[in-house]
Amino acid sequence: MSIINYANKEIQFKIVYYGPALCGKTTNLTYIHSQVTPDNRGDMVSLATAADRTLFFDFLPLHAVVIKGFKTKFQLYTVPGQVIYNATRQLVLRSVDGIVFCADSQWDKMEENVESFRNMEENLAKMNINLDEIPYVLQYNKRDMPNVAPVNYLEYLLNNRKVKVQSFEGCATTGENVFSTLNSISRLLLYKFTKESYSPDKRSKTTVLMSTVR
Amino acid sequence: MDTIPILQVEDVQQLDAILNDFLQKSEANLAVVIDKGGTVISQQGDFNIADTTILAALAAGSFAATKELARRIGEIEFSALYHQGKNAHIFMTSIDENNILITIFGEQTTVGLVRFYTVNATSQLAQLLAKLRARSKEEGFQFEAEDIEEVGKIFT
Repeated sequence: MSIINYANKEIQFKIVYYGPALCGKTTNLTYIHSQVTPDNRGDMVSLATAADRTLFFDFLPLHAVVIKGFKTKFQLYTVPGQVIYNATRQLVLRSVDGIVFCADSQWDKMEENVESFRNMEENLAKMNINLDEIPYVLQYNKRDMPNVAPVNYLEYLLNNRKVKVQSFEGCATTGENVFSTLNSISRLLLYKFTKESYSPDKRSKTTVLMSTVR
Repeated sequence: MDTIPILQVEDVQQLDAILNDFLQKSEANLAVVIDKGGTVISQQGDFNIADTTILAALAAGSFAATKELARRIGEIEFSALYHQGKNAHIFMTSIDENNILITIFGEQTTVGLVRFYTVNATSQLAQLLAKLRARSKEEGFQFEAEDIEEVGKIFT
């Protein structure tokens, strides 16, 4: 949950990386952790199995820019992608401010992408959150793989709601568009708390603004 | 319109006063109030013991993870959890349906003493947080769009 502390001049936000198993959510956080100077981040915590699969969540606290004298702190979480861990995904989504939906671009992962996106909508609905009310962006990851689906097809599958959101072609292992994705969701969620009310139409306008910082 | 809940300077002072009083009486080392999503609301004590941001994320996770266990024995959730170490221990207790008090303590005190003083502290915290929650529905913080445009990239 976002909260602003007037005593220590800090604002905290929570961003969750969501997506199917092995799509690269943890790799996104690992890359961010490797690139941000230690002064601006805490330790990355991974609650993983012996085979390095996320069991509970990964967590990375980041310090970002100062806005109007307030230090902004973003807490990044990943959910476990494996289908059986749905209860854990619901726990991690609690008090979420913004979401990065990370899709696996490989052809044989399309069904899992769609299933995971539906699962995200269902889990948000259980918390009385409609996807139209929460800032989110899409990252089509693993674009370096040989058997990837075209971006139009991924857009058709995952970005086919009334209001299209910003999407990024990513390769989390090399870091391609990892920070563009993070910057986009961070700005989007900051815009949510501006004085003009937040609506799907507003998000559409915000998305255009986002494209200028890619 | 979406707003960010505000903790005013006076709110933080009141929260800190409750935590300091609790730490003094219980002789614990560190007390942190978090929400169940893992966000730190207030903290007092020896911050060298642990990174409270990470502590908050893990404690919220730990608390939530035992909910299913509680359900299996007919409870909605456990109201308190205790992790016993060799030299340092963690006692976590539910303040209300949204918040948790985490207490770290060592050999200088006992879990019984910590648990005893937690009752009064959580009751005071619950009252204060309920007041803040009610207020946050009426007033909250908002940015100007220009504030965000001015800063450029959030992460560089």
